[in-house]
This record gives sequence, C-alpha cells and structure tokens, in this order.
Amino acid sequence: MLAYTVKRLFTLIPTLLAASILVFLFVHLIPGDPAAILLGDTATPEEIAQLSAEMGFDRPLWIQYFLWLGNVLQGDLGISIFFREPVLAVIGSGAETSILLASMTMFWIILIGLPIGVLSATKHGTWVDQITSSGAMLAASMPTFWLGLYLIMIFSVTLGWFPSSGFPSLSDDGGITNLRYLILPSLTLAAPNAALIVRLVRASMLDVAREDHVRTARAKGLHPARVTIKHVFRNALIAVAAAFGFTFAALISEAVVTETVFSLPGIGRLVVQSILRRDYPVIQGVILVIVVLYMIINLLVDLAYARLDPRVSLK
Amino acid sequence: MNTLIFLRDAFAGRKLATAGFLWLCLIVVAAIIAPLVAPFDPLEIDPVGRLTEPGWPNLFGTDHFGRDTFSRAIYGARMTVIIGVGSVLVALFCGGLIGMISAYFTRLGHFLMRAVDVLMAFPALLMALVLITLLERSVVNTVLVIGIVYATTTARILFGMTLKLKGETFIDAAVCSGAGNSSILFRHILPNLLSPLLVQASFIFAFAQLQAAALDFLGLGLPPEVPSWGNMLSEERIYITRAPWLLIYPGMLIVVSVFSMNLVGDALRDSIDPRFKDDIAGV
Amino acid sequence: MALLEVENLEIAVSTQRNLLPVVQGVSFTVDENETLGIVGESGCGKSLTSLAIMGLLGTSPVRITGGSIHFDGMNLLALSERERRAIMGNRMAMIFQEPMTSLNPVYRIGDQIVENLRQHQNLSHAAARDRSVELLSLVRIPDPSERIDSFPHQMSGGQRQRVMIAMALSCDPKLLIADEPTTALDVTVQKEVLDLMADLQSRMGTAIVLISHDLGVIAETCDKVAVMYRGKIAEAASTADLFAELLHPYTRGLLNSIPVVDRDVEWLEAIPGRVPTLEETLTGCAFQPRCELATELCACEAPQTTQFKPGHSVQCHFAGQDRS
Repeated sequence: MLAYTVKRLFTLIPTLLAASILVFLFVHLIPGDPAAILLGDTATPEEIAQLSAEMGFDRPLWIQYFLWLGNVLQGDLGISIFFREPVLAVIGSGAETSILLASMTMFWIILIGLPIGVLSATKHGTWVDQITSSGAMLAASMPTFWLGLYLIMIFSVTLGWFPSSGFPSLSDDGGITNLRYLILPSLTLAAPNAALIVRLVRASMLDVAREDHVRTARAKGLHPARVTIKHVFRNALIAVAAAFGFTFAALISEAVVTETVFSLPGIGRLVVQSILRRDYPVIQGVILVIVVLYMIINLLVDLAYARLDPRVSLK
Repeated sequence: MNTLIFLRDAFAGRKLATAGFLWLCLIVVAAIIAPLVAPFDPLEIDPVGRLTEPGWPNLFGTDHFGRDTFSRAIYGARMTVIIGVGSVLVALFCGGLIGMISAYFTRLGHFLMRAVDVLMAFPALLMALVLITLLERSVVNTVLVIGIVYATTTARILFGMTLKLKGETFIDAAVCSGAGNSSILFRHILPNLLSPLLVQASFIFAFAQLQAAALDFLGLGLPPEVPSWGNMLSEERIYITRAPWLLIYPGMLIVVSVFSMNLVGDALRDSIDPRFKDDIAGV
Repeated sequence: MALLEVENLEIAVSTQRNLLPVVQGVSFTVDENETLGIVGESGCGKSLTSLAIMGLLGTSPVRITGGSIHFDGMNLLALSERERRAIMGNRMAMIFQEPMTSLNPVYRIGDQIVENLRQHQNLSHAAARDRSVELLSLVRIPDPSERIDSFPHQMSGGQRQRVMIAMALSCDPKLLIADEPTTALDVTVQKEVLDLMADLQSRMGTAIVLISHDLGVIAETCDKVAVMYRGKIAEAASTADLFAELLHPYTRGLLNSIPVVDRDVEWLEAIPGRVPTLEETLTGCAFQPRCELATELCACEAPQTTQFKPGHSVQCHFAGQDRS
C-alpha cells in the first residue's frame, strides 16, 4: 500500500508541473505589464521596477517560470493587492470555513445520499423508486444559489431557526455552536451532490444485483437484507467510490457559489471577490492551491478504490 | 431517419421524458418567435410600475425597474437556447475532434490526452472563472468558456468510445479495402458515435444552463442588461421577500428546463448501444 | 418416498401481455445417492427447472404456475420464505455454470465458505474457518490453509468451481444441484471436476441433479437421464436403458451430433431446423417441424407420455421407430 501511494505521488508530478505552468501563464495572458498587474493600480513606477527585477520579468519566460516556481515551493505566492498581505496568509484565513463547510457537506451527502440510493435500488420499479430517483434528478437540476436563497428565506427569515449569513470562527464566542451558521450552506451544497450519489448508488446496485455471485449468495439461504447489504451494496460501493472524485470537483465549484450566497468567509468567496477586485496574485494562488488539493483528493479516492476492490493491483 | 426511429424508441413508454422533450420544444419555439409573443419590450423601463404583482397585463409582474417579467422570461428562453446550443457545439466540436484524433493517432493522442488530463485537474466552474477573468463579459465569451470547460470531458469520452470501435472488425475491413484515415474517422467511426454524442449533448446542455446561471449570479456571466433567467435571479435577489414572483418564475423555468434536459438525456442513454452506456456520466 | 419428487411442474414467464409457458408437465424423482442427468439444448427449460427446485426464481418474471416439488417429505412450494431459506445452502445446495463470476470478487474465498457454514450451523468463526480448510482439502485444493485467504481472481476457473463445490457441500447437503458445472471449463479440468463430484457422492451419499447439454457427460456420470425438449421431458430412463434403445428421434439426433473417436464418419449429423420460439403456439408435437418421422398426426396432436417399457417413458407417437 505504501509503495503504491509513493508511486502514485510520483505520477502526479508531471500533471502538477503542467498545471503549474498554466497557472503561471495566467498572469501573462492578461494584457499589460505583469508587474503592474500583480501590484495593482496604486503601485508606483519604482515598485513596479523592483518587482520586475525580483521576478525576472525582463528575462525569458522559462526563467521567470522557474523563479516563480522556486518562490511557490518556499510558500511564497506573492502579495495580495487588496489586502497588502502575503497570498498564503489570505488563503489560510479562509481555510477554516471552507474545510468545515466541505466536511459538513460530505457528512450530509453520505447520510442522505447512501440510504436513499439503497432504498431506491431495493424498491426498484415501484413508486418509491420512481419518486426517489426523479426527486434526486430534480434536486440535481436546481441552481444551488436559488435553493440557498429559498432556504434562507424559509429557515432564517421566516422561521428564524438558523442564521442567514456569515460564519464566526469556532475559536470565537459560541465555540462549537457556531457550526449552526454552516447548516444551511452545507445542506444547500449537499443537495445536488447527494442527488448524484443517490442516482449512482441506485444504478450500480442494480448492475451488481444482476451478477452471478449474488445468485450464489441467495443460494446460501442468506436473509435478503444481508444479501442486499453485504453482497450488492458492498460491491456497488466500488463504482460509487470511483465517482467520489467528481463529486469533490463539483463541491469545490459549487462552494464558490454557496459561500457567496451565505457570505461565508471561505476560499470560494475569496476567488469571486478577487476576480471582481482584479486581485491577480490571490486568484493565481487560490487556483494553484485548489488544483493541488483536488489532485490529492483524487489520489485518496484511488487509494480508497484500491482498498474496496481487491482486483485492483497495487503494484 | 435512423435518428427518428432512435428517438421514438427512446421515448416509448416514458411519459415524464416525453413531457420534458415537449417542454424543450416549447422553449425553442418561444426563443424563435419571442418578439411575436412577448407583450412588452423586455428592456423597457417603467419607473411608475415597479414591482407590480402578477396579474393583467403583466402576467408575471414587473421587476424593480418596472420591466415586464413575462416578456423578459420569454426573451430569456432565447439566451437558454443560445447558451445551450452554443456550448454543446463548442464542446462537441473541440472535444470530439481531440478525442477521436487522439484515439486514432496514438502517439499524438498520448500527448493530447495528457493535456486534457491537466485541464481536467481544474474543477469546472473554477476553470470557467479563470477563463472569464481573461475575457470581457459577453454572450459569445460565456458560450466559449462553458463550451471549453465541457470539451475536456467530451474529449475523454470520445477517446474511450473511438478506442472501442477501432478494435472492431468492420474498421479492419475498411482499412483493408484501402480507406484513408479521414474516411475511416468520419465515414466509418463517427456515424456509430452519433447517438452516444446526442446523449452527451443533452447532458452538456443541462449542465451549461446551471453553469451559466451560476456565472450570472456571481456577476461574471452574461452582461447585466441581457435578459437571461440567471440574470433575472441575480438582479432581483434582494426582493425575494418583497416581490417573491421575481425569483419564483425564472427559477422554476431554469429547474424545469434543466430537469427536462436531464430526463431526455437519461431516456436517450438507456437506448444507446450498451457498450457506450457507462462512458457517459450524466445525472 | 424418493428424496426429491417433482410432479407436473409448470413454469411460465410473465410478459406484459400474457404468461408464456416455458416448462410444462415435468415430473421426475431422485433418490439418495443417485444422480439424475437432465439434458437438452439451451433454452429447453432445464436451468429454470433447477432454479425452481432450489427456490432461486425469486423476483424474476419467471414463476411456478403449477405442479409440486417435494423434498425429503416436505412440500417445498408450501413453505414460507424463511423455511425455504433454512433449506437452501444447507440440505440442498447448488453450483453454477459460471465459476469465473459465481464467487463475490471482493471477499476472500474462506470468508465466503464461512458465511455459508455460519448461516446454517452454530459455529464460532474459528471453528467455521477450520472446517473450511477441511472442505478445501476435500475438493483437492493444494495448500488449503494458505489458499483460504485468496481472492477469487487469484484462482483458475477449475479451482473456483472446486471452491463452489466446497461451499455447496459445507453443510452436508442431501441434494446437490449442478447446473452445467463443467461447461465453462477446459476439457481436462472438466473430467477432474466430474470425478471429484462422483467421488464425493460415493463418500457422502449425496443425491445429484446434473444439468448439461452434453450427452457424453451425462452418459459417464448419471444413473438416470431425462431428455428435455422445449419445456417437456421427451424421454426418460435409466442411463443403461436409454443408451440401449433410443426411443425419441430427438434423443437420437442429440447422440448423432456428438463426435465419436472410434467411428469413422464423413460428417456429423446436426438436427435440422430450430426450436420453435415460446411465442409460437403449437397444436402438435414441438419437435415435429424438425423430425424426419413427422406425419400429419404429429402436427395436429401433441403426444402424451407413454411407458414404452417399465422405467422408460417417452413422448412420441412413433417411439422407437426408424426412418424406414
């Protein structure tokens, strides 16, 4: 397992390098002097000249790339134009919100998506199945921000059960109870993704149920529920795990929207605000961080997949 | 003709999917004849009749500029069709070409598919956001950005399907009878991929609507004056309690249209060649 | 009373419009320590018959529409689900045609045998595991205490079928149903598996129902034979009687289509024509369109089962007659 993990880490390197080139080129695709772009409108000519020299903007592009990559590897992603702070610190300040939001969302997806998917598959062809699987498709057809706005209107404005926006850190007053700020956002974010998991669990369970080994399990005289869980659901999880990487990509994308709807101080909203503020160093930094994160998650998904399916060779 | 039979079989006995298909036809018709059926100019501002409740003559009420919501919704169908068809064409053309060529010319293909893998390391909306940053807000750019985002998945899918077909005997037969590369690709392989492509197109159409609406909401999609359902939601969101109709109608239109497209895609997927079924990830 | 008594079994597939009969009036008995072979072309209803006995038709659109199945004195069709499950995998077990896919790929083979044992016997996990090792060595898997932790994909087809046999025999069943157990295997492995089954039967006294399309396999291993054609038993007899005198033209056709090494023939005879589909309603004998003996009578009236000789029954108007 360890050897496999290390090997997979190495295969990530070329993709990471290629992605980093794209992220690096991003600033150069914007028309204008890159140093002026990175420093914003208020920069003085001296500052621009200084950064130009530092980053080697007068030298060939590939040297600039390696200078930039060297900085990145040391954790130096540049200085935010808007905050006047290191980009890494700006991203770090949104990390708590985003990580908590993602974890709570995953919690809902598993808590809601898996059981409904199993129900839909076991009641295949009945009205229960029709309602759950069309309901799931409907949930996946909703714009997340629209759902979020209505959840705010119903549960915050009308009923007053949950706060409508913002998120004070867990280390602020209120401690762990501050998580209530994330309940509506995480439900909003979970809805379309849980819906996809419902459809996926249903489809792959129906596929597995047709396989010969399920007939063998029934021939053992096992209770039907045991056959469903231990033999059908367990095997269907392999396909579900393989799709979890996509779920995470969707989650990252939709978090951008959800954090904006609920005004959460997370990385997603930071992206949007930085784009509107033309804070290029932050945009560049956040994209790099998210791409690395996404690759790590895909690696974890692959490892989980290998654990679930003994046929996957770990060599 | 074959396509017609394929469509008929796909919708046979599926009432919900048929209803979805009819709804989409209605959207297309509304988009084409919008100027004939819209009772008002969608851009005409009326400072007196602001936030009027739904009724006569403003069926869906008016927004905070006093513009007629019903007329804007009908013109919004235009944007829906343009965004959907546009991004499907961009995605299928770019992605399809890259995928097929990669599967066919293995050495070039290896390089191209690695490039696609790199692009796929960027989550969809994030990639759209990055591209948008480099471009002006316009209808064409929104279509291009969404199309390019889905070109990557389309390339992957077509790559897999072309590889499967390449191993078939009838391709060997075509090679033996002296058919050239382009003839094999476009006259022997492509026709076999048309129905899977149609399925992929319907899912891209659905996803594109949600992405476009999200971009509109973030203020990074279509220019604000363009009457699209996403822009209507985005502009009027602060009136959610005072004038709820401003969010209900465009929102429902998006949901019903995306739902219909997903239903259609689902129905089509169930009736294509089972070998290709697992290649296409829809809802 | 025989161990297994199937009487007038009727099975039908329900379609959107109606019920199509797939097995009609099938009767046979199997005693302890006896092997019954059921032979026929694919689609003749032999597999469905075996699934019906085992109780595995389940929720499929195929269901039993008539007749009775008695096992060990119990009317199987009158039992509750629960009582039925207590028999499955315990006193009655089954092995299948597809050894490559019949084991769950995500569990170790030992765990799959243990699961069967613990379902029916009050054993600790450790005891069940010890028993599983014994069973694996019984079916001649080398290094059983090591192989018990293998996953199915790490074994060959023949080995997997042995594992299936070990699993089926784990609770000392009185009846073993084997549905084409060797069809998917190499010829050399086929022989080993069949020998293994015969050997285990002589030791444990298990009754076996062997389903096959291969009359050669049946001739070698079975005490008696039932030949099925399109859902009916065309001919049934002890193996010796059957091969001494082939009464039904279909049985003769089946035998003539087997290559025989020590007979010099120009070509192998195939049975002409095809089996009528289920949708075609037949007034006469189902074999009539393909039969060289067919007359007008065969086209109008379906033959009844007749006892040609004691213990040798046949459904044919012209049983035992030749072309001439």
